[in-house]
Amino acid sequence: MDRAALVKELKTILGDDKVISDPVDLLYYSYDSSFLARQHQYIPDVVVTPRSTEQVAAVMRLASRENIAVTPRGAGTGETCGSVAVSGGIILDLSPWDTIEDIDVPNMQVLVRPGVIHAKLNEQLQKHGMFFPPDPGSTRMCTIGGMVANNASGLRAVKYGTTEQYILGLEVVLPNGDVILTGGMKSKAVKSVSGLNLTKLFVGSEGILGVITQIRLRIWPKPKSRGIVMAVYKDLDDAPASVLEVYQAGILPSGIEILDESAIKAVNMYRPDINLPNAEAILLFEVDGNVESVQWEGSRIQEVTGKRAIQVEWATDPKRMADLWEGRSVVAAAAARVRPDGSRVFAGEDISVPLSKVAETLRSIRSLGAKHGIKVVNYGHIGDGNVHTAPVIDPENPKEVEAANKLVDEIHKLAVTLGGTTTGEHGVGAVRAQYAELEHGAAVKVMRSVKKTLDPKGLMNPGKMFPSEGEQ
Amino acid sequence: MFANSTVVNEQIKKCVRCGQCRSACPIFREYQTENFAPRGQVFLVQMIRDGLLEANDKVNQKLGDCLLCEACTKNCPSAIPVHELVAEARSYLALKHPSTARKIIFESIWADPKKLATLMGSMRLADRLKLRSFARITGLTKVLPGDLSRAEQIMNNIPSQPAHALLPRVSPARGKRKLRVAYFLGCGTDYLHPNVAVATVKVLNHLGIEVIIPEGIRCCGMPHVANGMLPVTAWLAMENALQLKEADVDFVISDCASCTSALNSPYYQVGGWQEIAEQNDLIKNAQPERVMKAMEWLRGKAIDVHPLLTDVLSLDSLPAKLSKNTRVTYHDPCHLAKAQKIKQQPRTVLQLIDGLDFVELPDPDACCGGSGTFALSHYDLSMKILDRKVEAIIATESELVATACPSCSTQIAYGLRNLEKPIRVVHPFELIAPVIN
Repeated sequence: MDRAALVKELKTILGDDKVISDPVDLLYYSYDSSFLARQHQYIPDVVVTPRSTEQVAAVMRLASRENIAVTPRGAGTGETCGSVAVSGGIILDLSPWDTIEDIDVPNMQVLVRPGVIHAKLNEQLQKHGMFFPPDPGSTRMCTIGGMVANNASGLRAVKYGTTEQYILGLEVVLPNGDVILTGGMKSKAVKSVSGLNLTKLFVGSEGILGVITQIRLRIWPKPKSRGIVMAVYKDLDDAPASVLEVYQAGILPSGIEILDESAIKAVNMYRPDINLPNAEAILLFEVDGNVESVQWEGSRIQEVTGKRAIQVEWATDPKRMADLWEGRSVVAAAAARVRPDGSRVFAGEDISVPLSKVAETLRSIRSLGAKHGIKVVNYGHIGDGNVHTAPVIDPENPKEVEAANKLVDEIHKLAVTLGGTTTGEHGVGAVRAQYAELEHGAAVKVMRSVKKTLDPKGLMNPGKMFPSEGEQ
Repeated sequence: MFANSTVVNEQIKKCVRCGQCRSACPIFREYQTENFAPRGQVFLVQMIRDGLLEANDKVNQKLGDCLLCEACTKNCPSAIPVHELVAEARSYLALKHPSTARKIIFESIWADPKKLATLMGSMRLADRLKLRSFARITGLTKVLPGDLSRAEQIMNNIPSQPAHALLPRVSPARGKRKLRVAYFLGCGTDYLHPNVAVATVKVLNHLGIEVIIPEGIRCCGMPHVANGMLPVTAWLAMENALQLKEADVDFVISDCASCTSALNSPYYQVGGWQEIAEQNDLIKNAQPERVMKAMEWLRGKAIDVHPLLTDVLSLDSLPAKLSKNTRVTYHDPCHLAKAQKIKQQPRTVLQLIDGLDFVELPDPDACCGGSGTFALSHYDLSMKILDRKVEAIIATESELVATACPSCSTQIAYGLRNLEKPIRVVHPFELIAPVIN
């Protein structure tokens, strides 16, 4: 089927206004936030913006009939090329499909379409005193569909876990156009062990098994109070040790974040008013709950961290809390400040290692950066060993690009060597598919057979998650 | 030139395409597809710079899908001035594909106060003879190109006299003179909202400020920035800076958000000006050192009238009392709130007025869709954005909506007029002037 015929048929299925085919408009779909997409241009043949399960099913039937690759996409905020059509074909832009179908407070759940923005959902839930806890840094722009497909998490995963823990069921359009409901056809139960757990199979499947068109999410009561402890360390090794001691004191903070020396510098250059103390590391512990428990946990954390930290600050004032938390959340962008002509790139940015190896990891990354002549800024969710590294380079200098690619390859391998993983929360996409064998060995074969069962023609988001057979 | 300009060279590579701009852009909000995301504009500019995209109508149209409202710029974690990139690219394409109509409007008429006065005079005459309403009734306006046939309605009848005909060159301070300021009387205030200008001068005089309207002031150049005419902006910036320096005042003030935004923009600063000035042959014979001295002088002097009261004069009371309690809300103009971070000062001024019951608008700094000439080319889109603003205003149950930009005033008044809502749009100083003691 040639492109013109494909566009024509898609317009018949969806209507003219839901098909994007102008060559200039298609360029906008050639990227996400990844370094890989900056180096290559993956332009889709056509983009569609369906607004019903039937429309998605019809597109899938057409794609299946004509052997056309299909890549589902949310807000395109990912860092792995996961929502980019590396083999061309159709992009399903699901981000405009942003209906909250039902907020069912008595049953502690919501039913949403994939394009709902995370922050907007929580804005609505707040009216009912509820929230959807996973808290990605991209809350203002990322979609729930994207979060489910990548099993996203974020700053509060320490206590609240990842997206998968909140998915009660999914509506999925399979590659052949069939529609299934996981988690039970009629079930609104908040727990169920009935049947093979297909929900968990699709959560984090990055669009390689089917298209998620509806999501039933469990929601929780929103805590009434929160507070932040900032602990400042002269010696990097004291930071993970402090984290362990807080856990051992019987406290589970909602978030524990680390900024290393480079990140502290970057934040202070970007927002001098936040005025973080210079040190080898800063930890931010966030606690939430009722007023009394927050106060008690806050005092206890101050006491415990005070043994190692050179400075401890307890903040419950909303302005100071917002500043401190922003100090952490702006690092991703502020990283580039360490070099006026540079930009941070999203590559090798999401390894996760055992807690006991965090200090070693941070030091090793710093040495690797020095070896390749690249400035790196490190920060992350130390509470679960998730380290974010921001290489800062001139992305228009080919030599620096080459050096950065070598650096991030070594960072990924370092994670596996230290008993960790190449990605804690951002996903695999096209960027980390090359490490599948290294991380999973024989299990990759099983993954391939699951994929083949659901997607025998290999049309769903090809080139992602693991290399196809024979490619390795 | 374009590819070598500082902003194009240094800022494009800072975009990591994180997508945070998707959450801020009023145009993206209406379409929700990536081809309307501000990061896409940055990408487009990059493609043009690298010669990977030919300048054609489609590319022009895509660059036109931007209000230059600076919402993305303000929300960009990498602090990329997306609006400046878009303006640079528009200008580059306009140079490659010059348009006679654009040249006549922006280079000949809008850059020359006399020609602009003649044009506005003929429009006023047409209004007085009811020609415009006659043309609407008979359907003659339908022959106007593009969206102009509908967009011309946004501009209500042109007031009978422009502000510059109503105000003396020098208006002395009442009592002891505290300051002497040059009033940068913008085109929008001058021709469409002369009452605002009269109110501004009256209030400032009452507060001990001498106001002079300098000779030879031209348009600030902001409409030219938006319409791909940066070289003309360079010329206007040069002329205005030279004239303002001659005035030798403490401050250069304006009641127009866009004018003060332009006067504080890189185009009125030495480095930024030099880059765009290179593109204008007319400037070649200028004495750059004189211009630069004038720009150095101007630096930090151009200020909106609200911070003049709150930050410079540190006023904590105003001798102004409304005759009856009045509920008033406030719309933040993009060129004030986003471009100059002036949000609190107009609210402070409003709240100093006795009898004014201030009510905050939801999303007060969301763009109204006016953006100068945007509605002329994007009428339907502009109206969708306006609808949200007008709905929010109506929901506050205010009697008046205050704002500090002639373009916003015109646009919002049109939206309210269409819905036959008796909510008046005013500049805060219009509330103060009649009741100040």
